[in-house]
Amino acid sequence: MVKHITQEKISLYAEASGDFNPIHVDEAFAAKTPFGGTIAHGMLNLAYVSEMMTSAFGKSWVSGGKLRAKFKESARPGDTLTITGKIDCIDQKSDVSYANCSFEVRNQKDETIVAGEAIVRLL
Amino acid sequence: MPDKPISYEELTSGYKFPPATYELNASFVSKYLAAVDGSGDGFVPPLAITACAIAAMTKTIPLPAGTIAIHASQELEFLKSVPVGTTVDCHIGVAQKIARGKMSMLVLDLEILDKDKEKVQSGRATVALPT
Repeated sequence: MVKHITQEKISLYAEASGDFNPIHVDEAFAAKTPFGGTIAHGMLNLAYVSEMMTSAFGKSWVSGGKLRAKFKESARPGDTLTITGKIDCIDQKSDVSYANCSFEVRNQKDETIVAGEAIVRLL
Repeated sequence: MPDKPISYEELTSGYKFPPATYELNASFVSKYLAAVDGSGDGFVPPLAITACAIAAMTKTIPLPAGTIAIHASQELEFLKSVPVGTTVDCHIGVAQKIARGKMSMLVLDLEILDKDKEKVQSGRATVALPT
């Protein structure tokens, strides 16, 4: 899955979530921080992972999924993010199968923005 | 959650943020889907629910002027999907506060319940902030 980050999307996310932290929406403020400009909310980047997992596993993900993610770098306006995931192994517990997955969000420079693991029950 | 930030000293292990209530209505979900390039299916995307809780929490964390908090990691468990229009209560507490030089790591537990008090999500966030 590929997503393009724009300031418009970041601002829309701020409006939807109510998270107007100036590092996301105030370019003058953000320019004076070590980031040098606005950055996307970590939860926006993670939303793409959840969208990918929902596409792959449907209701099993939205009702029963688990994830653990680390926000390693920031995504910025103009970035192109590639979201990937893979099933590392299948666990069997009491007649129920669980897919153990790993995921990554990388930018166009191949830097890791988000990395983590997820578990989802297989129907 | 209160609009007024609490004092930094109050953010110790065991501190509970006042609960916040959100109506996950069609307007909210529509804005969220536009922001994440998503498509709707009548249910609220699980990360949209988490986003409300995280935003409410960050609004109340005290930060010195000109500084920022960094969301370092997130754990989540999605326990129940909810239809658009559901009202949820978000409960967040400080699980741990670790001082590291001029920064502190706050480990926050979050729990989101529907009106029947059934758990919709639970999770843990780690936030780095200047002291």
